[in-house]
Amino acid sequence: MTGYVTVDGTLAFVEDHGDPAAPPVLCLHTAGQSGVQWRHVTPGLVAAGYRVIVPDLPGHGRSEPAPDGPVDDLGAYAAWLLALADATGLDRFAVAGCSIGGKIALDLAVRASDRLTAVVAMAADAWTGGRPSPRGLRRELVDVAAPSRSDRTELGTLAVLGRATEPERARLIAAMHRREDPVVSNSDLIGWASHDLREQLAAITCPLHLVVGADDLWLDADRVRWAASRIPGARCTVLDGVGHYPMEEMPGFPAVLDGWLRELTAGTEAA
Amino acid sequence: MTAAPAPVDTGRWFEDFAVGERFTSAARPVTADDLAAFTRLSGDDHPLHVGPDAMLQGPFGIAVAMGLLQSLGLHGEAVQGLLDTHWTYRAPIRVGDVVHLELTVARVRRTRSGTRGAVTRHMRLVGDDGVTRQEGTTTALVAARASGPDDDGRAFGTVGWGRAVAAALDPEVTTLLETWDGTVGLRCDDEEVHLRVYRGAVIDVSRRAPHGATFTLVADALTWLELVEAPENPFLRLAMTGRLSATGDGYEYLRLTRALHLVVDAARAIA
Repeated sequence: MTGYVTVDGTLAFVEDHGDPAAPPVLCLHTAGQSGVQWRHVTPGLVAAGYRVIVPDLPGHGRSEPAPDGPVDDLGAYAAWLLALADATGLDRFAVAGCSIGGKIALDLAVRASDRLTAVVAMAADAWTGGRPSPRGLRRELVDVAAPSRSDRTELGTLAVLGRATEPERARLIAAMHRREDPVVSNSDLIGWASHDLREQLAAITCPLHLVVGADDLWLDADRVRWAASRIPGARCTVLDGVGHYPMEEMPGFPAVLDGWLRELTAGTEAA
Repeated sequence: MTAAPAPVDTGRWFEDFAVGERFTSAARPVTADDLAAFTRLSGDDHPLHVGPDAMLQGPFGIAVAMGLLQSLGLHGEAVQGLLDTHWTYRAPIRVGDVVHLELTVARVRRTRSGTRGAVTRHMRLVGDDGVTRQEGTTTALVAARASGPDDDGRAFGTVGWGRAVAAALDPEVTTLLETWDGTVGLRCDDEEVHLRVYRGAVIDVSRRAPHGATFTLVADALTWLELVEAPENPFLRLAMTGRLSATGDGYEYLRLTRALHLVVDAARAIA
């Protein structure tokens, strides 16, 4: 049921929709954002027969901050999500994530393939090459060192949306993204830029699909393809006209995600 | 009976060139004879330029580019000479390559005398595989038909252009700069204009403000062209991908993100 769950001693806000007995899919948001990014996707996924669980990561949206302050290690989020899964009685589940959510999904595949029915990791590679610079991001942890942060988030979001996104939709996405705590966002990005999964990809055993938008300025499609080539059986899709936020940009995203999840689980278990 | 003298082909006058005009030449194959002739001319018989996998000498590309430029039929007797060549080698040219020239008029500036002007052409030598082999700019001195005045809607970095930009600014900029006291520099290659801002108003436009610029937005001519020609204002996209940079006070540069977005809007409106 949608509401607050205690995970690791703090209250987390978790949306939980659909038949509790339906195949569960855990949807992960991007840096500094919240589960609200999935608001247009959830109804379609529920209609397609999923139980949809959308958490706000610690310090994001309606979840309380992590006890030790803003998290700058994506592995800590992955561990937290496994604790959340335990707390909500999820044994085996699918994961779909975007940006840091995509990389956290990859991390979950590394540490808990046996619990995952399928992983869709969007707008994520295994290693950014250290970009953006964690040192610069740490400087900006001091709020006053990050001038015009909200404007830069809004205009920066517009700059990484795909060409196919309708202007009205783009404006709404960018305006919504202004709602962030810069210290939490920057900590997320430090995690994003320093999390290196390259050497662990071969250990992934769950079905996995890497997805990247062709218009995503923050990702190099070749690095995503490289990551896919190192994961046994992984698929890779480059989406034309799409940028960094497929689930927010694409009006028909629930059906697209349903299709990917069905492909990944075909022959393994009921989708 | 004597034949009438053939009309002199003057080609284009200075006024006939407009920033942003683009031309593409026919394709030209690179042959073994080219390599032999260029080696004979240059005397450069380094092992790199010998054998089945030989690379043509770097300046071969410039020579070919100038020949392909001539084939475009832009230049006749109005051309008085070549002023400079700035060139970069991106990929080797080899026997068997088929290259063509993509030319963009990047800058036109009348000389002080008024009777002629400098026309800077961005030239890109591209293989039929789509890979740029060499690129750069060359500037020609071209006779003028009349003495002006010239439109400065695309005279990026000049005082006349700076005044036109300031006049075209959205009134919202007054609100954005209400508390600001400083100078915004706008630079295109080696031309820079200063907009002196005080309490929301641009109070002076000059080559150099007395205290200099608080920060200067820097881009080359082709990037300014993209800024004014892209379907949507690409300011943040180009800043995030490093095509635009800033010198001076980085804090104030970031602080003015939205105002600079409006400055680019104004430049787009007058271009």
